[in-house]
Amino acid sequence: MASKVLEYQKKSLPQSMNKLGWILLVVGAIAGAAAFYLDTTRALYNYLIVYMFIMSIAVGSLFLIALEYVAGADWSVPLRRLVEFFAALIPVMFILVIPLLLNIHTLFHWSHAEAVSTDAILQGKSAYLNSTFFIIRVFGILIVWTLFYLLFTRNSMKQDITKDQKLTKHNILFSAIFIPVFAITITISSIDWMMSLEPHWFSTIFGVYYFSGTFLAALAALTLAVIFLNEKGVFGKLLIPDHLYSLGALQFVFINFWGYIAFSQYLLIWYADLPEETVWFLHRWEGGWVIVSILLIFVHFVVPYAVLLSQPAKMDPKRLKFASIWILFAHLLDLYWLIMPNMSSGKEGSVPFGWIELVFPVALVGLIIVVFTMRAKNKNIIPIGDPKIERGLDFHL
Amino acid sequence: MNNKKFYGLTALFNTPNEIIKAAKKLSSEGYTKFDVHTPYPLHGMDDAMRLKPSKLGYITLFFGLSGAALALLFMYWTMSIDYPMVIGGKPFFALPAFIPIAFEVTVLLATLSTVIGMLTFFFNFPNNNHPLIGTDYLRSVSVDKFGIAIESDDEKFNNTAVRAMFGSLGAVKVEEIYYPDTETFPLFQKKFIFLLLTFAVITSGTTYFVLNKLMFMQPFSWMMLQDKLIPQEKSEFFADGFGMRVPVEGTIARGHKPYEFKGEVNPSSFLINPIVPSKESMMLGKKKFLTFCSPCHGNFADGDSRLRGQFPNPPTLHTKRVRDMVDGQIFHIITNGQNIMASYASQTSVEERWAIVNYVRALERAKNATQSDLDEIKKESAANGK
Amino acid sequence: MNIDYTIEAPVVEGRLTIGEIEQLVAAPMETKPDKKFYIALSISGSFLLFGAVLLALSFYKGIGLWGNNQPVGWGFPIVNFVFWVGIGHAGTLISAVLFLLRQKWRTGIARFAEAMTIFAVICAGIFPIIHTGRPWLAGYLFPYTSQHGLWVNFSSPLVWDVFAVSTYLTVSFVFWYIGLIPDFAVMRDRTSTKIKKTIYSTFSLGWRHSHRNWQHYEKAYMLLAGFATPLVLSVHTIVSFDFAVSILPGWHSTIFPPYFVAGAIFSGFAMVVTVLVFVRKIFDLEHIITLNHLEKMNKVILATGMMVGYAYGMEFFIAWYSGVEVEQFVFVNRAFGPFAWAYWIMVSCNVLIPQLFWFKKIRRSVPVMLIIVIFVNVGMWFERFVITVTSLHRDFLPSSWGYFTPTIYDIGILLGSFGLFFTLVILFTKALPVVSISEVKAVAEGAQPSHGGTH
Repeated sequence: MASKVLEYQKKSLPQSMNKLGWILLVVGAIAGAAAFYLDTTRALYNYLIVYMFIMSIAVGSLFLIALEYVAGADWSVPLRRLVEFFAALIPVMFILVIPLLLNIHTLFHWSHAEAVSTDAILQGKSAYLNSTFFIIRVFGILIVWTLFYLLFTRNSMKQDITKDQKLTKHNILFSAIFIPVFAITITISSIDWMMSLEPHWFSTIFGVYYFSGTFLAALAALTLAVIFLNEKGVFGKLLIPDHLYSLGALQFVFINFWGYIAFSQYLLIWYADLPEETVWFLHRWEGGWVIVSILLIFVHFVVPYAVLLSQPAKMDPKRLKFASIWILFAHLLDLYWLIMPNMSSGKEGSVPFGWIELVFPVALVGLIIVVFTMRAKNKNIIPIGDPKIERGLDFHL
Repeated sequence: MNNKKFYGLTALFNTPNEIIKAAKKLSSEGYTKFDVHTPYPLHGMDDAMRLKPSKLGYITLFFGLSGAALALLFMYWTMSIDYPMVIGGKPFFALPAFIPIAFEVTVLLATLSTVIGMLTFFFNFPNNNHPLIGTDYLRSVSVDKFGIAIESDDEKFNNTAVRAMFGSLGAVKVEEIYYPDTETFPLFQKKFIFLLLTFAVITSGTTYFVLNKLMFMQPFSWMMLQDKLIPQEKSEFFADGFGMRVPVEGTIARGHKPYEFKGEVNPSSFLINPIVPSKESMMLGKKKFLTFCSPCHGNFADGDSRLRGQFPNPPTLHTKRVRDMVDGQIFHIITNGQNIMASYASQTSVEERWAIVNYVRALERAKNATQSDLDEIKKESAANGK
Repeated sequence: MNIDYTIEAPVVEGRLTIGEIEQLVAAPMETKPDKKFYIALSISGSFLLFGAVLLALSFYKGIGLWGNNQPVGWGFPIVNFVFWVGIGHAGTLISAVLFLLRQKWRTGIARFAEAMTIFAVICAGIFPIIHTGRPWLAGYLFPYTSQHGLWVNFSSPLVWDVFAVSTYLTVSFVFWYIGLIPDFAVMRDRTSTKIKKTIYSTFSLGWRHSHRNWQHYEKAYMLLAGFATPLVLSVHTIVSFDFAVSILPGWHSTIFPPYFVAGAIFSGFAMVVTVLVFVRKIFDLEHIITLNHLEKMNKVILATGMMVGYAYGMEFFIAWYSGVEVEQFVFVNRAFGPFAWAYWIMVSCNVLIPQLFWFKKIRRSVPVMLIIVIFVNVGMWFERFVITVTSLHRDFLPSSWGYFTPTIYDIGILLGSFGLFFTLVILFTKALPVVSISEVKAVAEGAQPSHGGTH
């Protein structure tokens, strides 16, 4: 049997990609800066959405890597390199987080000492929700993620040359350790950045809810990258529809998972009808938000569900591409729905939507492309040294 | 050779690769009525046999969607239309609370329809009389051989040509298959009729027992059967055999004042309305009217019964005859009943009955307002500054 | 031990041929049961009898014999119900989820796990029916046009339970039966006695191993797996709704659905490992149900055990974070109140002890893993006990606080349910192929056409 790895030829990513990324990034960043100048609060909330989106892609990708190692999956091995490129956003987050931390008082009600002093509930939480501990947590978590990112990618890159099986063994161990760490850190991040925007509200499932979106977004980003680069011929003829099918099926599963978690959270709060819990959903049911809430059900669940339901749809690159872009948009909408209603400056129930809401995602897309292409420069697009690569390429359902 | 009907030719192969090759050859040569028999599904066989993708999914989709729709419709009908009930302060059609059951019914219908559809519609099962069943060919396939069978009614079937082709493909064994003898089952056999009768007796006996005995058994009814007398029950203790006792002659309930005009036609001249209309008494009258009178007379005493014709509609109270009645007469009708209207003396107190009378008066005036009434209202609202 | 990652580990060990696999699996059905079988059957049967007698007494005298009382009105019946439903999750999970994930190792254990699912759900189904003390009135749970003109309350999680559990039982059974059809055909062709042949022929429905059938069959299996996967999640989710839609502190928590599902997988896998350890030994199936299988299941136990631990942690943290006084009290009371013993049994059995599975040696050591999974079974029973009892025994009104003590009837009926479960399991091992013959054949070495040869 002919080895399929030998068919692999190193090809650089299309030049236009990098260019497009820079244009989007620069345009978006300039417009974003203008937005900050004109309406700091609103721009800041938009920035937070974008930051959380990047966190989803970056850490979700890291989780995908770990999952592949732990599950012993072989079909995803040829795609792992792309995931690693996406995970390169993690170190960038150190810089991205700074504007948020500088404006912590604009974002978080609990960070005001005078607000806490008159609020018994906030006083009870102040051991956790205080600016110092918050910043420690943010950087602590970023450091842990970066550490694992470096470990995974260093081993993976080294393996391209040495083809040492021990490195796989090490990465499996790191992955096993990373997964519980990931569960805790992603939960803390979601509580810190999103749940505490409305500091009285609480929900035990919130971390899982954010995780479901994270995973889906990372998966959609990966799928999009795979299909796009495959169209550009970067993979040659290495990938077969079965790879796409696996990605499509995973997307489908996690669309359901998101729906399940979102429904569980809603049903339990709706059914019990306790005022301290329902207030959060009430804010998302006031004025124009009711439309956004209902739209979210369709955008995040119904439409992608229908698109990916049939078996051929999961293999069809066109449909899958559409579904991936759609899911990425849905995740953005989800974050918008989670974060925006808390913007205190806005009127009750008014949905802020204008050019400010559009420029930040532009910069976001630009940034992701730029980081991806910069990281991918002069690298193998598949992990050619991985012991499982042959099985991954010769993969049949 | 016997004169059984010829079914077709079968060939056995040793390895999966050979059978795939054989299947490819057959489908490329244009045979259509052939089948491959393998102890487990082989990858790539669908393509080798040029099979179209299974259409089973459509059955699943159809029944799954109908399951969801039926469940939601049914819950909507029961919980919002047939017997609306407020549960936990939720709306009658509480969609989130209906989703779990809608989901379960979807899954149930989809899976059952898929399986039943596959077994009956796609497979024609049960089919234990198929000519292949019980042959050595199938027995080998059941273990570890890979077989291929061509039916004789295939247009291209030719015994010698097929045999030669099997040989060239490396078949280890070629076998001819015949239809089994069809046995005719004697319908009117003694044994069969006896069996039928036995079944009939057992079934009807069981049905009788279940419907008339078992359904009315009380396994353990200690809470129901206590050592006490239930109202209306027979008792041997008393000479007259009644479990309930009649009160002493002339006993009346506390606070009860017998109605002295009971059964009289029109004692209105003796009944003077003692109540001066006040807001409280009007509200009391309204409440009692809506409770006891409105089911038949309608909310505004128009005689438009709310009982949807389950009870004869009473007349409207806005006729001249009623309006000309004195208060006492209406009071008497409520207390004593009239025609098929029963007495409401036990449900309402004297005070409440007079309050109802006043309320009926108010309704009558409102429905038959004169110009002077309107002027008065205008004047009043002008005084209130509206 | 160094693993070579370049090759796939064989699912079936010992280089068994396809015929040998069939011989191994069919052997228990073709031999007369030995003494050990009858001993095991009589032990489990005695448990069953014991439970049945106590249950009959409960019906006769009334359920006042049980420990349920104010304030703990939900005692053992719901605990046992949730416990058994949880056990019943592993089977469908192994057969459906792992099928969708193309995990070939599921083939060796799927049949057995599915059977355990059905038996566990039967055990679970008993408790909601008996807990009213008047099981003959259970028919009222179904929506039919009754003389009352009234319908069941479709907004009630208890009615959702009726739908979920009965759907689950039906679908699991259908799934199991579909998998058995080709094996019935195999048995039909193997056996020579007339009675057996008639039985197997009837159930095989005339299966001919035809590829034109296999094609639809595989599609149907896929569709069923696709439905069974959300179904299995929905069942324990709905069980968790029984608790979580209430406003009782300790019950009303939004994480309950995924937490219960993780717990169900956890306990289900533990039970499957417990039973498989014996089955593979007794029936010489060590090459088909290999140590690799057990190790993988232990990994799943480790992962789900940590998920359960995550949920414990989240509940505690959010109880503190919420600032709701009663919520905080319930959790402090759980850990340090009168039922602290149960709480710490739960934590140590479910979270701490499974951490031993981090070590490969322990994951692959049969006696050690047996001890650990039994601890997990105990711990998961106590989890349901803790959730049910600790939230109820001290509610909003301190004057009505109390303590829950089970009676011999509670314990006896629980033991009886174990008796029922193991009796069914033991009978199953002799009556039907405990491993899916056709599926294991399909993953044996050299069973599939090589791609190089056909492409």
